[in-house]
Amino acid sequence: MTTHFSFTDKNLLLRHGPTAVLQLAQRRGGQLHKLLSGTSIFEQDLMNPQSRCHHRDWLKLLSHCQQLQSPELPFLLADSVLNHRNIALCQSIAVAANLAQSLKQLCYFRHQLLPALYPKIKRIDNKLMLSFKPAIALGVQQHFISILAISFLVKLIRQQLADSSQLHVLLKQATPANEQLFKAHWQCQVSFNQQFDAILIPLAYWHQSFADSNPHRFQQYRQACYQLNQRLPAQRGLLEHLQRQIDRALPRQLGIEDAAALLGLSCSSLKRLLQQHNTNFAAIADEVRRDKAHLLLLQGNYSNRQLAEQLGYSDEHNFRRAFKRWTGMLPSSAKALTPISF
Amino acid sequence: MWRQHLLKINLPLPLLSAGLMLALTLGVTKSPAEIDWFDVLGEGIVLLVAILWLTLIISSRPAGRVTEWLYYGSLLLVCSFFLDLLDEFIRYPAHIRTMSWLESLPAPIGMLALTYGLIGWHREQRVINRQLQGRELLLRDHRLLDPLTKLYAVDYLYAVLARDLELHRAEQRSLSLLMLNIRQFSAFNRQYGAAAGDDYLIKLSELCSSQLRASDVLCRYVGDRFVILLANTSLQQAKIFAQHMQQHLTKLNHHESNLKIDIVVNEITRLTAKQALQETEEMLKASKAGIAPSVLLPS
Repeated sequence: MTTHFSFTDKNLLLRHGPTAVLQLAQRRGGQLHKLLSGTSIFEQDLMNPQSRCHHRDWLKLLSHCQQLQSPELPFLLADSVLNHRNIALCQSIAVAANLAQSLKQLCYFRHQLLPALYPKIKRIDNKLMLSFKPAIALGVQQHFISILAISFLVKLIRQQLADSSQLHVLLKQATPANEQLFKAHWQCQVSFNQQFDAILIPLAYWHQSFADSNPHRFQQYRQACYQLNQRLPAQRGLLEHLQRQIDRALPRQLGIEDAAALLGLSCSSLKRLLQQHNTNFAAIADEVRRDKAHLLLLQGNYSNRQLAEQLGYSDEHNFRRAFKRWTGMLPSSAKALTPISF
Repeated sequence: MWRQHLLKINLPLPLLSAGLMLALTLGVTKSPAEIDWFDVLGEGIVLLVAILWLTLIISSRPAGRVTEWLYYGSLLLVCSFFLDLLDEFIRYPAHIRTMSWLESLPAPIGMLALTYGLIGWHREQRVINRQLQGRELLLRDHRLLDPLTKLYAVDYLYAVLARDLELHRAEQRSLSLLMLNIRQFSAFNRQYGAAAGDDYLIKLSELCSSQLRASDVLCRYVGDRFVILLANTSLQQAKIFAQHMQQHLTKLNHHESNLKIDIVVNEITRLTAKQALQETEEMLKASKAGIAPSVLLPS
């Protein structure tokens, strides 16, 4: 069993999302055979609770559903998945003691629900920033899936803590025309054109006990999640795997040969795989350093020399040049801006 | 759509085959030198277009009287054009006139039937237009529709509101806005599932649109929030309308759900479309928090 997955690994249970999105789309005028066309999913598969699909089909399905011009789809899908009675993971996070336990559980078993994204958590002042990055190339569906993940968490917090007004959602996408849709569904501050797809959760929420907290049922559902793990083992997306390795190696710069060796692949196989994701190794390494630079800037007052050292640049001039390439501005002017919107 | 028309789909093939058999028994095929390829090209294209019409009718029209006229009209045209094309390849003896009659007669009859069908379509469209008038005041664009409730979505609301504000201001008439919000809708969704929630929204939108005047516009604002634009209506009239609506909406509450609907009324005077909607949203928030009572008395 390989430790990473790509587009054609069948690691997504249909009942963990695809079935729900199909039902929503059908009620919005989509025809099942058209929604499924071009995928390897058949109508009979939808009845079988063990059926799985791979990400190529999942992304295609989402693009078919989006042709229905229903911008509320990711919000509703998050709602349906969260409250789905047959998904042990969703049931378990709702009966956890508090948000900390709930998110820990979610992070541990996340490959069962949404393997296409991976979370990163960082503390910024009195908030925790949970940012999401694609674990495999998601193309145009990246916004949809990010909104889905964030919506899932916001809805969980609103259901269990009855308040989401202190949350702050950051989205990479440009301000959409239907901005009020985000505010109406999330009822919290939403900023667009950001460097991350992320949610800022105040520490005060972290240990507030959940409305439906039930330790006994939590254990039961957790057991069910472990059982599912035997059939759906924890695999990470190729990009996630690489980005984590590159990040871990910093300030040393990981070469493509080292990365390929860590994945158990030959250099040319890795290059070929990355080509399928429309990217290359240099671009991924650059992205990791850019994200890290942004995070460090958010977290504290580092000098350019310190930043350059942490990111593995030979001197601060090279770092300044790279930062200008990423953002169009110098690190000093980025620091002067408000903590969240660079 | 095509499942409604199985007979119509299966009919042309045997009909055209019968025509072909008849032509082959009556006439003799021409040698390639005798064939006028320009004629073949012209008549072939005419036949293909007629077949395209037939396919479009089958794939886009529901079964019914108007569809029958349109279909049989086009079918006669297809037959006529088909025989017309055949005689480019087959020569008939001069004394047998059957094929020439079969070729010329169906075309005018088909044309007449098609025209009659088109008149029926026109009438039907007029009725549908009238029915849609309340929803569709400004422009027709399917991308502006909310696919669930078939109401116009928020983009359309902005366009209509901006235009109406200008018109009403110029003519010094009053324009009112009604905003409906379903209380605890997410809890309802959680308890009964997304399908029940969607169903409720559809019923609510149908019930609301049945109460509108032709000049009013109902839009789905976001999620569980709807906006009704009342043209030429003062605040006082709008309040009466809102109370009427509230009473009417009690019909929606059935045994398992007892959802409450907040309605706020706002007369717009000076603001822009965006500001007006924001102000109304604030009013709705205040009403939900119990600071300002909604115009509707809780039933």
